Amino acid sequence: MRPRHVGQRVPKVNDYGPLHGTGCYVDDIEHPNMLHAAIVRSPVAHGLLTSFDTQPLEEGASVFGPERLRTHIHAELPVLWRVGNQEQFSTPVVDEHLRYVGQPIGVAVAGSRYLAEDTAEAVDLTIDQLDPVVDIDQAMAPDAPLLYPESGTNVIATFEVGDTAKHDDTVFAAADRVLRTRLRIGRVHGLSLEGRGIVAIPGPRGKLTIHTSTQAPHGVRDSVCEVLGLRQSDVRVIAPDVGGAFGLKDHVYEDELMVMIAALELNRPVKWIEDRFESLLSTTHARDDIHEVAVAFDNDGTLKGLRVDGRRNVGARLAVFGGGPLFTTFGLVPGPYRWESVRGVGRLVATTTMSTGAYRGFGQTQAALIRERAVDLVARELDIDPVELREMNMISADELPYQMRTLMKFDNGDYPAALRRASELITGAPDPPDDDRVRGIGYCSYVQMAGIGPSDANEAIGIQIGGFESATIRVEPDGSVRVATGASPHGQGLETTIPQLVADELGIDLNSIELTHGDTDTTPYSAYGTAASRSIAVGGGAAVVASQRLAESIRRVAAEMLEANPADIELVGGRATVAGTHVSVTIADVARRAWQGFRLPEGSNPGLVESFCYEPASATFSYATHACRVAVDTHTGVVEVEEYVVVHDCGTIVNPMIVEGQIHGGVAQGLGAALLEEVVHDDQGQPLSSTLLDYHVPISASMPEIRIEHLEIPSPFTPGGMKGMGEGGTNGSYAAIVNAVCAALPEVDWTDLTTPLSPNRIWGVLHRQS
Amino acid sequence: MKKHRIRLTVNGDESEVTVESRMLLSDLIRHQLKLTGTHVGCEQGVCGACTVIIDGRPQRSCLMLAVQVDGSTVETVEGVADGCIEHVTQVALHEQHGLQCGFCTPGIVMSLVAAGRSGMDAATAKRQVLDGHLCRCTGYVNIRAAIDAAWETVDGEPGSNNPDSGR
Repeated sequence: MRPRHVGQRVPKVNDYGPLHGTGCYVDDIEHPNMLHAAIVRSPVAHGLLTSFDTQPLEEGASVFGPERLRTHIHAELPVLWRVGNQEQFSTPVVDEHLRYVGQPIGVAVAGSRYLAEDTAEAVDLTIDQLDPVVDIDQAMAPDAPLLYPESGTNVIATFEVGDTAKHDDTVFAAADRVLRTRLRIGRVHGLSLEGRGIVAIPGPRGKLTIHTSTQAPHGVRDSVCEVLGLRQSDVRVIAPDVGGAFGLKDHVYEDELMVMIAALELNRPVKWIEDRFESLLSTTHARDDIHEVAVAFDNDGTLKGLRVDGRRNVGARLAVFGGGPLFTTFGLVPGPYRWESVRGVGRLVATTTMSTGAYRGFGQTQAALIRERAVDLVARELDIDPVELREMNMISADELPYQMRTLMKFDNGDYPAALRRASELITGAPDPPDDDRVRGIGYCSYVQMAGIGPSDANEAIGIQIGGFESATIRVEPDGSVRVATGASPHGQGLETTIPQLVADELGIDLNSIELTHGDTDTTPYSAYGTAASRSIAVGGGAAVVASQRLAESIRRVAAEMLEANPADIELVGGRATVAGTHVSVTIADVARRAWQGFRLPEGSNPGLVESFCYEPASATFSYATHACRVAVDTHTGVVEVEEYVVVHDCGTIVNPMIVEGQIHGGVAQGLGAALLEEVVHDDQGQPLSSTLLDYHVPISASMPEIRIEHLEIPSPFTPGGMKGMGEGGTNGSYAAIVNAVCAALPEVDWTDLTTPLSPNRIWGVLHRQS
Repeated sequence: MKKHRIRLTVNGDESEVTVESRMLLSDLIRHQLKLTGTHVGCEQGVCGACTVIIDGRPQRSCLMLAVQVDGSTVETVEGVADGCIEHVTQVALHEQHGLQCGFCTPGIVMSLVAAGRSGMDAATAKRQVLDGHLCRCTGYVNIRAAIDAAWETVDGEPGSNNPDSGR
């Protein structure tokens, strides 16, 4: 059967809502009798809350402070990734020890948001202030104020990934040369355009329905039940239309739990919608790492060893995936090159700032910068062309599968082909205009771990959730099809691409398939939801197998109806046809028969439903080379990305338009982190980037056109051949753009580099140098 | 809190509503008139998601008080399509994959509708109008492609919203 839908540029089927104003995001949900919440937050970075006093309240208003909230809390929030000697496996929901500006302390509830904010503002807080610690170096100083005094240190965990110190020393000692560089990865904010939000609706007999802007409804449900002591079957979590997430919405937050507590105690629906100020303060930040990098190499350009001493500012408490991002940085830092040793030593450092958690790339963006900067430094040191140096060290197609020195095996592909083609495209780009800006070309070759799993591999590296995905597919009595997935799309287009996969397996039209997602009552379990570039590789794989099994059932019933052999039945064009004949029945005929249960083949049960829980045999690895040309105005420090090319392989491409859209958006986010975006605090821990005027995300003028070429080498593991790719754009662009800026300004010593390379930072660097 | 009775025309329908002095126009539109297609992304006039057309001009509804539109005509994304005929910008954004999560989309649609009516060319719309909007999903590449496609569809005048051009 030739694929008909997979590979087609099908426009997204669920665009109508946003285009016409008929979508339903969480703030669009109304409920009779609903109250509105505003959160009371810490105004200081570090202190002890000694009293929380409520003024006489307006009629109908309520306030929940720490004591009242605590009566509903049965457990702390779980941390779902454990590394090294970490001892914090959960974090408090309510805590009088205030550790960052914006920490939720209580919740005010009233008849409108306006009144709720009035009520929250009237709460009187008494706080004994403590000294803040804002950055990694301060927090690790011997006399630093401690966030968790009982532990005696601000270093929450230390861990190692990859080769042993002994092996690493041997490789470094044997190499001709060693270069060192320090990379300071600026703190960023994922900044979905829609903030977080929740409508909590208590029901009879202890039921609770939660509409929340999340990417992981089942994960939210699990944590809510653990914290509030509720039964999972009593709690329904629904993700309505979600206005972007990018990793920020991968768990339930403390303030959201407070809103649920208010709803349960008042026995009224309560809505809370995060505003932008709150979002920039108290939705997880990301990155904020310092990496001391050493690269060992021989005089002929052979890369030998990569050593990274990485410290991550995890903020006031571990985010839900704890040290996972830094672990993943080390895990993927080898990239597409042969090394004799790769070793990462990580420390998670607590400071009085918001937590840093998951954000598109999940540490792989930093991995790409560490490695690709190191490679460029070596090329420059040896005066070898950066592309040539990459190619001579790159794992070739026939060396795959290839055991990384840190984690698992790379699967398949042709890494040098992507590099060579990207190099051709960027060097063949139109000449720049003749102006007085300086120009540089930068590259980034990476291998992205997508489709993370299987479950045993997750457990082995400290992840506390399974690495599978599930699908349930039901052919209705009229032949239309409903696919339920544990994935929870919010812009990725799974409403289109999963049906594309199913349509080909069942030989039916795309329009007859609907995707059910984002509801714990109606979808199969998935701890991840949509995250980690997994949904099409693992979630799609589950849908492919479930539909293949369903196709077998259809063939059996059709064969009975047509008095033929099931092996001779072909499913094409919405019909089950005896091969080589015109004898056929429609899928609707088969479905009707199956749901009537009349004269079914021996051993067949009535109905046409299949559920499959797909445990992947391996993680999948997509890869790419990004290349770009930048122009730097040395008078202003402004960087323009003029040309941009991506040559990538994500296995089978279900929908090229959606894959390209993911690349575009990912490149924009990497560009933002490279050039514009930075969460900044003052020395008291007060956030200075608390509005979109201060936190700069790319606008259209920031973004070049992007030339994309696809290699398409199907995964050897995934049913359907998909590898996953949602985070790749970010991983590639961040390092490619930084490398291009460094290449444009060769006179600068870039061995201590801080991102973003914002205009003021570049201007400062140039000014200092001269 | 003082209340005001104001009259306005929204998507062709006249209405009379009572609002507090401090109520934002975006809140009036979303929570009192229940036109939730208009989104609020920053309440600060930066992101552009809340853009509506007031008396023919695109405006940030989060930067205005509801009382300011007394006597005005307001158009929101719900009123853009002409019955079941979609506006060319809506068609183009869909066909060119110009939206992913869709949260910023209503504001962009409204700005482009106004730009089309004003006779602006596609290059200016891409440069000036789109730079007034934040999109975190698309990297803007396919929104620019959609602007080109929309303007091409109607021979450079998307303001005409030629019914033949819709789906």
